[in-house]
Amino acid sequence: MKTIKINGEDHSLDVPGNVPLLWVLRDFLELTGTKYSCGIGVCGACTVLIDGKPVRSCSRSLDSLSNNNVVTIEGLGEEERLHELQKAWIENDVPQCGYCQSGQIMSALALLSVNADPSDADINQAMAGNLCRCGTYLRIRKAIKQAASMLRNTKNDISIKTIGNKGHKSLLP
Amino acid sequence: MPNFFIRISPDNTITFLCARSEMGQGTSTGLAMIAADELGVDMDQIEIEFSTGSSERYGNMQDTGGSNGIRMQWPALRKAIATTRELLILAACNKWEVLPKDCYCEKGIVNHRLSEKKAAFGELLEIASTLAAPKDVKLKEPCEFKYIGKSIIGPKTKLAATGRTNYSLNLKFEDMLYAAIERCPVWGGRLVSFNDDKARRVPGVIEVVQVKPLEEQPDDYKGGVRHGVAVLASNTWAAFEGKKALEIQWDGGANAKKSDEDIKRELIQDSLSNNDISLEIDEANRVFKKGDDFFSAYYSSPFQANACMEPLNATAYHRGHKIEIWAGTQSPSITRDRISELMGLPPAAITVNNLPSGGGFGRRFFTDYVEEAVVLSNHFRKPVKVTWTREDTLATSKNHPYWVDNWEASLDNKGVPIAFKYKGAIAGPSGFTPFPYGIPTTFYRPLGYRYPRLLPRASWRSVAAHPWGLSLESFIDELAHRARIDPLEFRIGLLKNADVVEQVFEPWVGDDLYPDKLGNTLEIAAEKANWGVGKERGIYQGVSSISYNTSYCTQIVDLSIVGEDILKIHKVTAVVDCGLVINPSQATAQVEGSIVWGLTALLKNPITVRNGRVQQRNFDTYELLKMAEVPEIEVYFVDNENAPTGIGELAVPGLAPAVLNAVYAATGKRIRDLPLKQPKIV
Ligand code: FES
Ligand code: FES
Repeated sequence: MKTIKINGEDHSLDVPGNVPLLWVLRDFLELTGTKYSCGIGVCGACTVLIDGKPVRSCSRSLDSLSNNNVVTIEGLGEEERLHELQKAWIENDVPQCGYCQSGQIMSALALLSVNADPSDADINQAMAGNLCRCGTYLRIRKAIKQAASMLRNTKNDISIKTIGNKGHKSLLP
Repeated sequence: MPNFFIRISPDNTITFLCARSEMGQGTSTGLAMIAADELGVDMDQIEIEFSTGSSERYGNMQDTGGSNGIRMQWPALRKAIATTRELLILAACNKWEVLPKDCYCEKGIVNHRLSEKKAAFGELLEIASTLAAPKDVKLKEPCEFKYIGKSIIGPKTKLAATGRTNYSLNLKFEDMLYAAIERCPVWGGRLVSFNDDKARRVPGVIEVVQVKPLEEQPDDYKGGVRHGVAVLASNTWAAFEGKKALEIQWDGGANAKKSDEDIKRELIQDSLSNNDISLEIDEANRVFKKGDDFFSAYYSSPFQANACMEPLNATAYHRGHKIEIWAGTQSPSITRDRISELMGLPPAAITVNNLPSGGGFGRRFFTDYVEEAVVLSNHFRKPVKVTWTREDTLATSKNHPYWVDNWEASLDNKGVPIAFKYKGAIAGPSGFTPFPYGIPTTFYRPLGYRYPRLLPRASWRSVAAHPWGLSLESFIDELAHRARIDPLEFRIGLLKNADVVEQVFEPWVGDDLYPDKLGNTLEIAAEKANWGVGKERGIYQGVSSISYNTSYCTQIVDLSIVGEDILKIHKVTAVVDCGLVINPSQATAQVEGSIVWGLTALLKNPITVRNGRVQQRNFDTYELLKMAEVPEIEVYFVDNENAPTGIGELAVPGLAPAVLNAVYAATGKRIRDLPLKQPKIV
């Protein structure tokens, strides 16, 4: 049994220690907002925050976590309580297929938590590890800037808060 | 109420049944907007559900490809929804004893103009169900549209921004087996033997079984399941680890020694061979002889992968007498018919639940990944989810084929072409690969692939239009420069003399080809991109103009020289005529995405093959374009109210030639092969 903290909630798990966090989230905890795409740390689809830093969850084993705080897209906001980044994402109609977008948003969140007013170059650099086959990059950059400005204007502190997990219903055929 | 596009419940819940696959192109939003406008409901009153595969309901309208979603459904969907609207109005008239002309629908309510009378749709269902559906209903006028033409943010955008899109990869059922398959790395190869001792020792692995294609000689295009070994486990990771631990002996068969270079060599040889052009050989030679000058060139483009961000996956539950499938598929009704045929069950026993896909681009039109799940579920009689690893989606998938197109021109003494000969990938022009230019005679000969194919084929965003656009738009550019005529003016000149081309080819192509529409996009683009006035600023430009399935697009690329053999692309300007634009935000996004797609194919590593095996393993070797590499993109739509045509692929084929034509303008170097290696683009 191992206990890990996801979006502020403790989860006890009986899962082999070498299983990557990505699959712990997706298959065991049913937090499917975090996505598998490359499995080797080069696409960014599986990005989560661990203690505020962006981490490729496909490349972090369960064993490597102890008292860390993991934040996933589920912990960021939901329809009634959207994070500024999500608001900006929606306003700019960023997602196409949407599959890369959880990872994009988590990387953007990490950037904004250390840089309240990023330039194009800052954004390009911070987002270089997040691929999008649909080609939504220009809108992502625009949305990050817009979210940054919304956050600055509301003088919200930009530290990362979480809303806890929203359960995922599994349906039976 | 009998309408396959909409379901209205007594509590006035209104569900739009989207009979088209959503894979990011925005069709679910666009079609819902059309339905909402025609019915008289608000977008936020509508829930969207995807129809299960059903050719008896939707004919061939449901399977999604060819940028056809909005174009094909525009008339049928509107008529169906308008019929429901009128039926609801008749039901209200029946109840209130008033006249239909005095009633209208808004926000899911029928209103009587002359009184305060109102009734929610849901209250009228009982009466409506007793009435005959009206015929010859009137469709809404454009001035009555509330949503069409506006950048409406659809539910799919909101779901994705909160990570809640229900991709098939997220599915989990009690008792479900998670499967991963190690497939034969050479197309056409077979399994000799395997040892699964190590795989079975991986914690979570439950069973290991051999996978055999359901057909003795699988077609590369239809079906195409490979020989393989499946590992079934209690979670995806265990299945992946078990798969890695398999020890397998393959017999690669006829392709085991071949490489992509061999294919290129064969295609070039065939395209240059003297056995001439078609049955019209005498005519071709006679016309060609009249010219004063001759020019020829060939162009090549390599194998490519669709590389959808959501790896291929499907879940199936075979219960003996019926099969249920959950997949992000572009072909829900074809899939149902195919599974019915393969498993010997009637189509009515098969349900294909179509979920949103994390990208399709043509790959999810093919059923192989669904067949695998069905075969495994048949074996275990449990729900089975097959997940492809990223490596699988590159190494053992289906690919955009290698192409070589060879063009020859016979020119008059001013350098204007009087005849063309084409030998290449396509049999001749079609709605997807049209020839818009007014050149008196053009002769075509398709190049057959030598068998067996090295890699099985899949459609890839814009399919054959990509090589066709590359070769035609580069060749036209070459001729313009030879004639010392501005390449944009040269195109406009050729289009001015061109006739409308008949190409009605229902249901996939819905209209003829209008060269003047293409010419119009060129003229607008010239103005928007300041064509021809950049040289003083060090800006070099290239142009292409493409028609694809009755949509039209001119692209102008601006680039500059930033170092020796180093260029920088600053901007792509795209001018599009796709008829009435339903949702400008999404239509623009499709052009942006197509440009990124085209740039990726132009600048990044393609799929290469050695000893029958694909060499690219993952996104480290099959790279995608990154944010910093995307130039500024400006998109303009020709304002019109013609019926909408398609937009999902239109801007792919013209991107590479526009860049390469700009490279020529900047450097005098003519690049005819993809990908572009020198000069370097930054
Ligand atoms: S899935 Fe982890 S980086 Fe791609
Ligand atoms: S939105 Fe489809 S991969 Fe990014």
